[in-house]
Amino acid sequence: MMQPRTRARLRGLLLVLIALLYVASIPWYREAGSSSEIWWGLPDWVTWAVLCYLAAAVCNAAAWLLTDMPEEGDGEPR
Amino acid sequence: MSFDQLGVVALLLYLLILVGIAEVARRARRETSPADHFLAGRELGVLVVFLTLYATAYSGNSLLGYPGEAYRRGFSWVMATGFMMSIIVIFHALVPKLRPVAVRHGFVTPGDWVRHRFGGDRGGAALALAVALLMTVALANFLFAQLKAMGVMAEQVTGGLVPYELGVLLLAATILVYETLGGMRAVAWTDTAQSLLMLVGLVSLLVWLLGDSGGLSEMTRSIARERPEAVRVPSALESANWLSSILLMGLASVVYPQAIQRVYAARSGQVLRRAFAIMTFMPLTTTLVVTLIGLAAIPRFAGLGDVDADRVMPLLLGAWAESGPVFTVAAVVVFMGALAAIMSTADSVLLSLGSIAAEDLARRPRSAAETTRLGKRVAAGVMVAMAAVALVAREITLWGLIELKMELLIQCVPAFLLALHWPGMRARPALAGLLVGTTIAVSGVALGVPRLAGIHTGVVGLGVNLLMVVLGSFWEARLPRPTRE
Repeated sequence: MMQPRTRARLRGLLLVLIALLYVASIPWYREAGSSSEIWWGLPDWVTWAVLCYLAAAVCNAAAWLLTDMPEEGDGEPR
Repeated sequence: MSFDQLGVVALLLYLLILVGIAEVARRARRETSPADHFLAGRELGVLVVFLTLYATAYSGNSLLGYPGEAYRRGFSWVMATGFMMSIIVIFHALVPKLRPVAVRHGFVTPGDWVRHRFGGDRGGAALALAVALLMTVALANFLFAQLKAMGVMAEQVTGGLVPYELGVLLLAATILVYETLGGMRAVAWTDTAQSLLMLVGLVSLLVWLLGDSGGLSEMTRSIARERPEAVRVPSALESANWLSSILLMGLASVVYPQAIQRVYAARSGQVLRRAFAIMTFMPLTTTLVVTLIGLAAIPRFAGLGDVDADRVMPLLLGAWAESGPVFTVAAVVVFMGALAAIMSTADSVLLSLGSIAAEDLARRPRSAAETTRLGKRVAAGVMVAMAAVALVAREITLWGLIELKMELLIQCVPAFLLALHWPGMRARPALAGLLVGTTIAVSGVALGVPRLAGIHTGVVGLGVNLLMVVLGSFWEARLPRPTRE
């Protein structure tokens, strides 16, 4: 079982990685209007964006599973 | 049996099943309290929380609006996959902090948090009222969009045997019946059935489209031949809009009242964690799929000139239905899946509207049963009013409505995300920021300037809003705080 501090640190790292993947998904670094190769059936910049989102989804799922939510008080009636 | 007749039979059967589920939910009711009616007694498990979040997040806008936008804008609409996923990312800033407080204090509406957090501050009550009003306007707008989409879908699935107007009225009445009968339980259970139908339908349609287009690569080449600009790397302005859309949709969606109420309604924090972990993959199986469906329409409708963006999906389904008897049945299933997605969002919105009106806007002390009854009556009144608007205003596009709703909702973000993490935040600067941010967002829409350098005016408004909250809270911290008797 991972220590709470380690879990929190790992979760933080994953969230930073997700932010970087989001920045990388937008083709701001490519020449606007330029044509592109077809990668796996899609324009290369689109395939790249989809791969970034797939990686972000994996990181995000892991981050959710590492999230600590205090259970105290759960189920209390109003 | 023809496609139109099959559509009528499927529609009636589907509506009967929904009412049946509502009756079962009514019998499962334990009491008449707002927590039982609006939050299903806070006992939703992982699968139901996941599927109700999914059905609520993916709506008529996703099923009709997004394929239309992909058709209109080309491959840059892959941004939709990113911004739908950003919602589940930004929930990290809300859920772990809000959920324990909500359970401890028995919150039912988003306004309960605002009153709890700012109750002791000068301007706290006014801030809670302003947040409730803004959410009500945004939700009414959202409900209108769903009703409009329901009418279009009913007309399409029955080949006009059920006209748009009758479709709006029939489906609105059905939602009202099952929601009044079963509350959140009925909504969550029907959402579960509806989301499964939607997933099966969308994946089937994509498989057919790709097969019919000769595969993904051939489809991309056909799009490049037909409309080269749809395949090229987007302009700097479009890239700025991509980033702005991620911020707008991600931030505004986490303060969706119906999403916040599902955070309250889950059985435990662990249920929420697991539901969100699964939910994060859904943009890849839904938004990306509807984007590809919209793109597949570009070469297919090349000869039709300007196609109304919201009609792209129904036109595709119509073409699919004509391919043979098996495809006719499959197209009806997709139509019903799309209709299910729309109705599942409309019912959640309506339930939230009722609870906000009963708990946040009408603050006179009432018994639990009276509050629940008031919520149901307000929901019925709003449904009738929005159905009337949907009958006369068919020309507004769905994406336009989503953007307007988001630009309003995003102004509530500081009262939730910032207030949860910054104890120094004060109510009066939050109220001032919310009012100024909303004015900027509405002015942008009213003046026909929806974006500044590709950035949504609502996002610009949020920037000003946040600046006012931060500077104002620091300023107020220097003043002596009033003591309460």
